[in-house]
Amino acid sequence: MRRYGEQMSKITIFGLITSLFLSTLAVANEVNVFNARHYKADAELYSKFTNMTGIKVNLINGKSGALEKRIIEEGSDSSADLYITADAGRCGAMDAKGHLQGGLTSKAIKAAVPKTFRTSKWVGIAKRARIIYYSPERVTGAELSGMTYEGLADPKWKGRLVIRKSSNIYNKSLVASLIENNGKKATAEWAKGVVANMARDSKGNDRAQIMAVAAGEADIAVANTYYLALMLSGKKGAEQQEAAKKVKAFFPNQNDRGTHMNVSCAALVKGAPNKANAVKLVEFLLTPQSQEHFTNNTFEFPMIDGVSPSPLVVNNLGLDFKQDMKTKLASYGKNQAAALETMTAAGWK
Amino acid sequence: MKFNSWYLTSFLISFIVLIPIITVFTSFFENTSNYYEILKNTFLIEYILNSFFLLLSVLILTFILGTGTAYLVSFYKFPGSNFFKWALILSFAVPPYIYAYSLTAFFENYGTAFTILKNLFGDANYNKNIPKFDGMFGAILSISFSLYAYVYILARASFLYQSQNLIDLGKNLGFSKFKSFYKIILPAARPAIVAGLSLVAMETLAEFGAVDFFSINTLTTGIYNSWITFDDLAFANRVSFFLLIFIFSLFILENLSRRKAKYHLNSKGGFKQKEKIKLFGKKSFLAFTFCFTVFFISFLFPLSQMLYWTIKFPENLFDLQIIDLVLNTLYLVVLSSSVLLIFSLISNYGNRVSNNKTLNILSTLSISGYAIPGVILAIAFITFIAWFDNSIIKFLGFTSIKKLFIGSILGLVLVYFVRFYSLAFNGIKSGYEKINISVDEGAYLLGYSKRKTFMNIHIPFLRNSLLFIVILISLEIIRELPITLILRPFNFETFATTAYISASEDLLEAAAVPSLFLILIASLFIIITSKYILRELHE
Repeated sequence: MRRYGEQMSKITIFGLITSLFLSTLAVANEVNVFNARHYKADAELYSKFTNMTGIKVNLINGKSGALEKRIIEEGSDSSADLYITADAGRCGAMDAKGHLQGGLTSKAIKAAVPKTFRTSKWVGIAKRARIIYYSPERVTGAELSGMTYEGLADPKWKGRLVIRKSSNIYNKSLVASLIENNGKKATAEWAKGVVANMARDSKGNDRAQIMAVAAGEADIAVANTYYLALMLSGKKGAEQQEAAKKVKAFFPNQNDRGTHMNVSCAALVKGAPNKANAVKLVEFLLTPQSQEHFTNNTFEFPMIDGVSPSPLVVNNLGLDFKQDMKTKLASYGKNQAAALETMTAAGWK
Repeated sequence: MKFNSWYLTSFLISFIVLIPIITVFTSFFENTSNYYEILKNTFLIEYILNSFFLLLSVLILTFILGTGTAYLVSFYKFPGSNFFKWALILSFAVPPYIYAYSLTAFFENYGTAFTILKNLFGDANYNKNIPKFDGMFGAILSISFSLYAYVYILARASFLYQSQNLIDLGKNLGFSKFKSFYKIILPAARPAIVAGLSLVAMETLAEFGAVDFFSINTLTTGIYNSWITFDDLAFANRVSFFLLIFIFSLFILENLSRRKAKYHLNSKGGFKQKEKIKLFGKKSFLAFTFCFTVFFISFLFPLSQMLYWTIKFPENLFDLQIIDLVLNTLYLVVLSSSVLLIFSLISNYGNRVSNNKTLNILSTLSISGYAIPGVILAIAFITFIAWFDNSIIKFLGFTSIKKLFIGSILGLVLVYFVRFYSLAFNGIKSGYEKINISVDEGAYLLGYSKRKTFMNIHIPFLRNSLLFIVILISLEIIRELPITLILRPFNFETFATTAYISASEDLLEAAAVPSLFLILIASLFIIITSKYILRELHE
């Protein structure tokens, strides 16, 4: 009996050690995705892809910052094929650091995605706009008429604006686009104006900004489009659904370049061991079925023509707005550091 | 002095554990980039001030909660006092980051508190009247209510050992209960309380999840962010250096107070089991209310918030691969605790038989891994492997070893090892201190080999210490977040990472299910071993 026990423990130890090493060996037909988008809808699409093609999608989920670092430190030995994240600024920054490679240039990709929203190294897979939300009770139509991002610095909004922290990537990209269009100096002045207008120190996520307007803490908020739809969908509970109805969406800069657009992007990592599979996965994410799946679940705007956004988005936010097709999304990554510097210097928390 | 294999093995173990610490220190002397110099200088002051404020507030709060509840349950009998005795440890099952999710979920605009008010009193805008526990205040509450149990356990152990004579003395002097508390009982328990507080302090400075969730810049999140945002490892390491100094001072403080604790215990003399005073009426009610409030806020509140969300959004329950997550967690727990136990035993034994000064110093230094935040350990580990691979392995012409260590279970367990080595090493060390060296000599005289002495005499003697260490390490690994997050392999999640990732995507209600399971598993574990936790710390 005792001897049996000893043997068992030897076998267990042996098993543990073997599994340790086996776990580090990879095999076969697969694609490795460093994934910073954690929607259930994405995971569903990946398993669909595996069913269709037989290519296994290996995921490492994490916050974008940490994932990027791992790719950078692993360097040319990185196992990453694709880096999928929710902001063009991040893909652009990875490109600037030289950790991406060209190759997302297949016919299918080029046909699906407008030039503004892609480079050869990264491609937008779903769109979102960063817009203004307002309380129709406390903000008049006249006040909003012709409203722009630039107008957020107007003293008439003093104590009435909420927006999240300067460290947030959506804000970095928005400010980067302002730097691209108006220059760094004008944007630095603008940031000071915005900080002076804030109803409170920046805190919370985009949804918290919208709810602050609903709760009466502020009159206008800056947040991405899909958040309101998400709240209206009831997925966040009945209370937030009610709250969302107290807030209206406004698309800024309709009379000039159009509303600031951003994308979730897929980037091809340098040294990707499964490059061909990575391209296949990106192409799959751009098919009408995948795009429809995105729009109905994450409430983003579709990247390709011929697919319409979720009815919740269409009915409550509207569709016929002018998108900024002029400012290249690649500039978000390029101006990112300058954007953060500008905001920090203005005292934007 | 003999350079035997025991000596070499324990030398090697201590050295491996020291590598990340050395990495942090050496990079302190690297140049940082000039571009952000000014910006950073202002940041640094903010980080230090925030860390200090957070630390101080948490220490005050955990002191009040921990010693208050410990005093009540050790000296008095009141309804539920036997229940609270162990139930108050359950707060260990709720890591600060899950507490932070609960606070936000309950108090945010249109959150759970709003729903409750609406259901009770009808429609109205209650948001303005609901206090907002976020930012610094939220972080202080989250950390304090999760960590006060350290102070509670150690204070209670010390209170239990206070001799009846001491308490009688207070009575004879005509002290009121309150006066004997702060004049006699509290000073006598001081070393234990300080030891508890310094554990709290180290955990607070190392805290990542909750502080990151409330986006407060402390030294720890500051290091992480400067690494992420500014790409500046040198600056990150420089901040780490400050943090290390901070932590080392606490460490020394704790060691000093422990020495005192030993002295105190040795001199306790005629130990007389003291009798608990039975409380009646108003006093009994107040004692119950205090303990219940602490228990409620620290444990029932986060548990019910997570439960409420799981019931409200049941679809998240079905999306979660619960069995996989349980298996992954178990796998990590079993693997890491066996590795930790085996190697700490070896190095302890090596220290004992070779009795060498260098080795002693090295092993004392190597236990400081626990004082270094997991985020920083993980970063230092990646930096070290990348450097080692690029400059040595490539130079020798071997294939890259990065994949073997970064994003693998091996790497994960290795960094856990560095982080929790102190727990295992110290636990076994204190167990060994109880085995007189003459026992070894007796064994040698009987013709036992070193190995046989180790296997047949020491191990059975150490059984209790080993069990206790396994409990501690398991709890730590179930809750561990930053190391797992940064270093885990593909398709590998734990309850902690699943919860964190959902929460970071503004899907707090999806984070509720893994959080709930984490709390339940950890609670189950605590309940099973509670007698043991309470008993072991008496010794």
